[in-house]
This record gives sequence, structure tokens and C-alpha cells, in this order.
Amino acid sequence: MLESPSQPSDDDLLRLTSAGDERAFLEFYRRHQGAVFRFALQMSGKAEIAEEVTQDVFMVVMSAPKQFDPKRGSAGAYLYGIARNLVLRCLEREKPYLTVLDDPDHEYAGRLAGEQDIAGELAYAERIESLRKAVLALPPAYREVVVLCDLHELDYAEAAGVLGCAIGTIRSRLHRARALLMEKMRAAERCAV
Amino acid sequence: MNENESQLLEGLRALAAMEPRQASPRVEQTLRATFRARAERRRRAVWGSAAAGFVAIAAAIVVLFLAPLPWHRNLAAPPAASELPSDANNVAGVQYAVVRTDDLAASFYPLPEADELPPLETSLVVRVQLPVSSLELMGFPVSEEAGAEPVQAEVLLGQDGLARGVRLIQ
Repeated sequence: MLESPSQPSDDDLLRLTSAGDERAFLEFYRRHQGAVFRFALQMSGKAEIAEEVTQDVFMVVMSAPKQFDPKRGSAGAYLYGIARNLVLRCLEREKPYLTVLDDPDHEYAGRLAGEQDIAGELAYAERIESLRKAVLALPPAYREVVVLCDLHELDYAEAAGVLGCAIGTIRSRLHRARALLMEKMRAAERCAV
Repeated sequence: MNENESQLLEGLRALAAMEPRQASPRVEQTLRATFRARAERRRRAVWGSAAAGFVAIAAAIVVLFLAPLPWHRNLAAPPAASELPSDANNVAGVQYAVVRTDDLAASFYPLPEADELPPLETSLVVRVQLPVSSLELMGFPVSEEAGAEPVQAEVLLGQDGLARGVRLIQ
């Protein structure tokens, strides 16, 4: 979610959006939709939820582009904040129906398997797939920290801004989340053996 | 950082690289359509407001200029300047009021070209001071001695702003 110096800033694009400039809105969308979509997907494990959340995040932007205040943080952090609230609402709504360990099409494992060293690749793909399931099985408060800091590579301060908590909280949650993940991975390996 | 944690971070990086990176084009299409619909609604609202404002201004003008003023009800006996109400319109020393046409035109002396003008629908009476000599141009018989003396008169203007008649106050 970085801007190059020749591109208009996020603030400029949102100002133009509020004046009814469709191109500015689409440029803003294209600049940020990938990160928002991946965040929602990694938090929910469901492509449908990720698409719904992505759409709703940019609907919020479209309705109130002036709500973004660059003094309070980057546009990326602002969008993550909206996406996070929407994802948590979706997860709450779908709680009775959601099985986060579901991957009926083996979509991710299949994508990871290469042509050479199929057995080795498959084992690696399965490990990554187990990791994905382990991330999705974390409680939301730990999952969002892993997604933001480890998958999206935000620093602690940015993550703290998105989640509205102290940097120390991010650090301790991340430490705890990684410990939980390692525990789950070890358990998964024991089951495989 | 121990080896297990390094492996975990490596796995997380691999996971991040493997995830789909884009929402489907359908999302962009939906957003674009919504944006256009909203822009259209906003354009309509702006034009609606402008039209409403224009109508309000037009209505105010009609009410202001076409409402009968109390000092013109008695057309047969127009008031002297001193009898005019304090809230009568006064621009650059010329007092004026717009009144209903009714039989108003009958109390004015018609100007020579007035017959060729469209019929009177609404009218404006303007009170002015004129040199007596100018009345001759309007078709009044004026003696040469009266010359440059000022005289108070009322001019009847039609809806098109053209003078239809004149009457002398003094």
C-alpha cells in the first residue's frame, strides 16, 4: 500500500472521490483492494466473506471519503481497521455455520504442489496448508495480529494503530499467537506420523 | 529466535505468498455501478435544490411586486407624496409600487405610442419629478411660460417595462 511520488496521494484520491470523481475512486480501490481482500481472506478463510468484506469496505469509503484523516494514520491502516470490524461481524454472524478447517477443493495444497519432486513439494504444501488451518483456528484477537504482522508485514506501531491498542499488547499477543501456532503444528505433525 | 520459530515465520511467509492477491472483477463492477448511481442521485439533488431555490425567488418576486399596496387601493384619488406609507419603495428619489391592473389604466392619460403595445396585464406606477416642458413630448398641451418648472407625475409602466400612461399629481 505504498504510493510512488508521481502518483496522487491517497488523501488526494479521496478528496477527488468526495467530489464525485469516479476515476479517483477506482484508482484508490485498485491500489488497496488486494491488501484488504487478503486480510479478509486470511482472517475468515472464506473467499465469499473476503469479497463481501472488500466490497463493503470500499462502500464505506465511497459513502464517507472525508472520514479518512491522514493525521491519524495511513489509508492502509484506515482500511484495515474497517475491514477488521466487518470481518469480525461476519465471523460472528456465520459462527454456527463456519468450519474454518474446511478446504474441500484442496485449493491451497494443490496450488503449492510443483512439478518436480512431487512427494517433497506435496509434503511442503501440506505443511503450509496445516499452517493456514492453524492460523484460522486461532482466536480472532491472536489471528489478527499474526495476519497483520506476519502475513502483511506491518510493524508493531502500524498494527497497534489498526487494532486500537498499545504496542506492548501487539507484542505480547504476537508472542502468544506464535507459541500457539507452533504447538498446533507440532500436534499436526504428530498426527501425520 | 529459535529454530522452530524461524521455520514458523518461513512458513507464514510462504503462506502469504500463496494466498490469492485480488478480489474478483465482480467487486469492482459492483462498486463502479454503485458509484455512478450515487453520483447521478447527487446530481439530481443539486439540480432539484437549484430549481427549488429559483422557484422560491420567483415566488418572492411575484408576491413582492404583484401584491396590492394599501396606498393604491383608491385609484380615483391617488395620494399625495406626503401620504405615502413609510415602507413604500424608494429608489434614487423615485417612489414606485406595482399594483393590480384593474381599472388603473383608465385613470392615466394614455401616451401616444401606448396603443401599439401589448395589453396591460400587470403594472408598475412610478412617481417622478419632471420638467413641465417634457410633458409636451408626451402629448400634453404646455404653455411656454411653465417651461422648466418641475412637476410631480406618476407614470404607469406595463409588464414589459414600457410606459403606458401618465398622470399629474400637481
